[in-house]
Amino acid sequence: MAMRARRFEEAKRLASSNLELAWWIFMRVSGVLLVFLVLGHLYTRAVIFDFHHDLNYDHMVKVMSSVTWKFYNWLLLFLSILHGTNGLRYIIDDYIASGRARAWVKIIVYTLVFLVTAFGTLALWGWNYQPME
Amino acid sequence: MYRGREGQWAFYLHRISGVAIILFLTLHVTEISSSMFGPKWFNALLEFEANPIFGLGLVGVAALVLYHALNGLRIILMDFTSWGVKYQRQLWYGVWALYVVIGFPMLFAMLGHVFGGGE
Repeated sequence: MAMRARRFEEAKRLASSNLELAWWIFMRVSGVLLVFLVLGHLYTRAVIFDFHHDLNYDHMVKVMSSVTWKFYNWLLLFLSILHGTNGLRYIIDDYIASGRARAWVKIIVYTLVFLVTAFGTLALWGWNYQPME
Repeated sequence: MYRGREGQWAFYLHRISGVAIILFLTLHVTEISSSMFGPKWFNALLEFEANPIFGLGLVGVAALVLYHALNGLRIILMDFTSWGVKYQRQLWYGVWALYVVIGFPMLFAMLGHVFGGGE
């Protein structure tokens, strides 16, 4: 079960398992990393880049030719998906009382998240972006 | 501990923004990754998204992301410092001060893209 600990010491005491404590710590560590990764993403893709006019296939070819950006985006994808899905798990545990319904909602959410992550990973690493003729 | 006061608003806003962000994230990853289907599909999709409604949607998501990021740092301070819980209310006001300082330039830059002429 999710924890509502306010402090690290409390989290250590309340954790139902080592895994649950590991998730609690992961949320803080990934959270700090995501602050920088996401704000960096927003700055480079939404503030200094005119996303509304200049985003197109050619731009994707350019981004995808850089291994650095691929790795940045892949790290961003994985951390944000894990952070977000674990957050959803806390919320599902808190608000869905029926064990049966909770299990079903989790199966659906995890399946969707897996498909989206696989799709994103395929686009980043399994596809060769060719410039337009 | 702080029912009905700032701390509870901070908590609910964190949850609501988190759910909205993960929903957007799945759409965003799917949409951008579909660029691997080629220029014809991707540029047609972007033409559909050229409607300012989508641009304003992005501004809204960025606003939620900024709150979630700053309040997340507040939560970490509460978790790992000896004084964070005691000053959680003051920290929340700090979150909003930073929110305005970082958020306004971002807001104007993004609105400039959405409603500007490009180039």
